[in-house]
Amino acid sequence: MSDTVTGSQTRTEGRLRVPALPLGVTLAVVVALVGVYVFGQREAGLVTQSIATGLLLGGVYALVSVGLTLIFGVLGIVNFAQGAMLTLALYLVYTMTSSWGLPVYVATLIAIPVMYLFGVLVQTTLLNKLTLAGSHEGPMLITLGLSLLIANVLLMIYGGRPLKVGGSVDGSIHLFGAIASYERVIAFVGALLVALLLTVILRKTSFGMSIRAVSANAQGASLVGVDVSRIYGMTFGIGSACVAVAGGLMAPFLSLTPSVGEQFTILAFVIVVLGGLGSVGGAMVGGLVIGLVQTVGALYLPGTGSLILVFAVFVCVLFFRPQGIFGAKP
Amino acid sequence: MKKLTLITTLAAGSLALAACGGSSDDGSSTDEIMIGSVHPLTGALAGVGALMNDGAKLAVDDINADGGIEALDGAQLTLGEGDSKGAADTGQSEAQRLIGDGAVALVGTYQSDVTTNVAAVAERSKVPLVIDVAVDDSILEQGYQYSFRIQPNATSMGTDGANDLIEMSEAAGKPVESVSYIHIEGAFGQSVFDAFKAEAEAQGVQVLKEVTYAGTNFTDATTQVREAASVNPDVIVATGYYPDSLLVAQAVNALQPDIDALYGVANGGFDDSAFPGDAGAAGQNVLSANYHYGATNDEVADIRQRFQEEFGKPMETASVLAYQSVRVIAQALEESGSTDPEELRNAIADIEVDDPLLAFDGPITFDETGQNENATVIVMQIQGDAVEQVFPEDFATSDVVYPTNQ
Repeated sequence: MSDTVTGSQTRTEGRLRVPALPLGVTLAVVVALVGVYVFGQREAGLVTQSIATGLLLGGVYALVSVGLTLIFGVLGIVNFAQGAMLTLALYLVYTMTSSWGLPVYVATLIAIPVMYLFGVLVQTTLLNKLTLAGSHEGPMLITLGLSLLIANVLLMIYGGRPLKVGGSVDGSIHLFGAIASYERVIAFVGALLVALLLTVILRKTSFGMSIRAVSANAQGASLVGVDVSRIYGMTFGIGSACVAVAGGLMAPFLSLTPSVGEQFTILAFVIVVLGGLGSVGGAMVGGLVIGLVQTVGALYLPGTGSLILVFAVFVCVLFFRPQGIFGAKP
Repeated sequence: MKKLTLITTLAAGSLALAACGGSSDDGSSTDEIMIGSVHPLTGALAGVGALMNDGAKLAVDDINADGGIEALDGAQLTLGEGDSKGAADTGQSEAQRLIGDGAVALVGTYQSDVTTNVAAVAERSKVPLVIDVAVDDSILEQGYQYSFRIQPNATSMGTDGANDLIEMSEAAGKPVESVSYIHIEGAFGQSVFDAFKAEAEAQGVQVLKEVTYAGTNFTDATTQVREAASVNPDVIVATGYYPDSLLVAQAVNALQPDIDALYGVANGGFDDSAFPGDAGAAGQNVLSANYHYGATNDEVADIRQRFQEEFGKPMETASVLAYQSVRVIAQALEESGSTDPEELRNAIADIEVDDPLLAFDGPITFDETGQNENATVIVMQIQGDAVEQVFPEDFATSDVVYPTNQ
C-alpha cells in the first residue's frame, strides 16, 4: 500500500506505517459484522443481504472517492465539482445510449477519454495558474462554481425530469442467501479493477513516478525535468476519468437528474478523509466501510439514522486518527 | 481596496436597477392581471417544477386566447414566475417579490415546507394562495384565511388509499389481510403512513411492519424491501418520490416476494408516465393510489395534447393541478369582477368548479380551512407501457389485475 500520494509526508514513513492498519481495520469490521450476526437479533438472511448491498455500494462510493483523493493528493485541490463531474459523465453515457443506441458499458468506454480530456482542459485552462501559485481557496471556489455551472447547463439541455439509462444486463445473482443484481456486481468488480490499475500505474510506470515526484515536491520535480503543469493536467484528467467509470457503472441503477451526483460529494469527502487524504487504497477501504456502515446500520437506525452513523464514524476517525486509516502520521 | 470599491459599485448598481424594475410596474392598469407562480425551477425537483410552471403558463395562455377576464373588460392574465429552488426561504422571498410586483394571487408550490412559508406570506400580505400540490395537513391547520388547496391532504390520501386497497382486493376475491409499509422519512411519508395505518387497522387489516429510508443517499432498496417482505405480508405499500420508488419496484422485482401486489399511496413515481418505461418488467402491474388527472375527461385529453405539442413533454398530474389552480383564480376573478385581493379571496372561498380536470368525485369547493372538499384519490395500475386508471369503476380506463402476479 505504498500508493499514498500525499505530498507533505515522506514516502518511507507512509510505507512503514501502513501494513498493520488495514489488517486491523479489516479485523475490526469482521468482528463487528460477526457481532451483528450473533447478538444483532436480526434474521441472518437480512444481515447477509445488507452486508452484500453495503459492499457493492461501497465499491462504487470508493470509485468516486479515488478520483477525489488523487486530485487532492497531487494538486492539493479540494475538488467540489467531483459530484457534478459524476453527473456530467452520467448524462454523457445517457446521451450515447439513448441517441446512438450504444450498450451502456461501451458508452462508458467512450466516456472515459472524453472525461479525461475534460479534466485536462479544466485543469490547464482554469486551475493551473492558481495551483502553481500555491493558492488553496482559488481552486476551491473555481470547482464550486464549476459544479453549479455543470448542474445548470445540464438542467438547461435535458430538463429536470428523472431520466433512466436502459439496455443494461438484466437479472440478479444469489450469493450466500443474498441477492444482487448483475449491474451492481459489475460495478463493484469494475471499481476494484480501476483501483488496482491505478495502483499499478502509480507504482510501476514512469508516469506514475512523475506523479509521485510532483506530489512529494513539485519544485524539486521540475528541477529534474518533470513538466509539473503537464502532470497536474494529467492528474486532474485521471481524476475525472475515474468518475467517468463510476458514472458508467452506476448509470444502470440511478435515476438521472442534474443534481444526482451531489449526494456523492459529501460521502466521497467522508471516505477520503477516513481513508487518508491522497491514498488510493484508503479510498477503497474507506468506501467499503462507509457502504457497510450505511446499510448494516440501516437495520437498526432506519431512515436518516444510518447516515448519522456514517458521520459518527467520521467524527470518531477525525478525533482518534485525524490523518485517516491510511494516512501517515503528521 | 480596489476590490471593495468594485463590489460596492456593483451592489449599488444592482440595487438601483432593482428599484427601477420595481417602479416601472407600479403604473400597471387592470388590463393586465398578474398571477404569481412559485415552483422549484432549479435544483433536484426542477423537472416537475418546470412542468407545473408550464402548466400554469398554458392555462394563462388559454384564458387569454379565450378573451381574457370578461368581467374585467377582457383583461389579460400574465404569469409572474418565481423559482423556489426547492428551498422554503427562497420560496418565501420569491412569493414576496411577486406580490411586490403586483401579483393578485399565487399558485404553488409542490413541496410542503415551501408551501408552509408561502402560505404565511400570503396570509400576511392578504393575497390568496391556491395550492396546486403540497400534501402536509398542517399547512391548512393554521387557521389561514387566504390559502386554498385543490389536492387531497396527506390524511385523506392515506385513509382513502387504505380504503381503496381493501375494497379493490375484496372485489377481486382476494381480500388483503396484512401489509408491510415502506416509506420515505419526513412529514410526507410519515403522515400518509399514519393515516393509512389508522384506517387499515380500523378495518381489521394488520400493518405488520413499517420500514423507513432516508430521502438522500438512497441508492439501493434491496435491504428495505427484504425487511418488509420478511413478515410475509399480502401487500407491500410504498410512499416516496420518483427515484426511490423506482428502486423499491426494482428490488421487489429482484427479490420476488410472495405478495399479492406492490401498492403505492401518494406515490410520486408509480403513476408517472415515464415510470413504465424506466422500470421495465419491475413496473408491470404496480398499483398506485393517488390523485390523478381525469383520464376519462375529453377536455383534459385536449389540454394534455396541446401541452405535449407546445412543451414537448407529457403533462403529468402535478402540471394539470397547476393549470387547474390558475383556472380557479380566473373563475374567481370572473365572479368577483375585481382584482381586489379581499374580494378575490371571498370569491375563491365560495367557488364551485363543476367540471374539475382531476378525477374527483364532485365539484371543487373549499371548506372553512381552505381544503377542497371533494378531493379524492383513485387507483392506477401500470399495464404494458401505460398508466391505466383501474378503480373505482367510474374513472376506470381498464380492468384491474389483482393479485398482480397472475
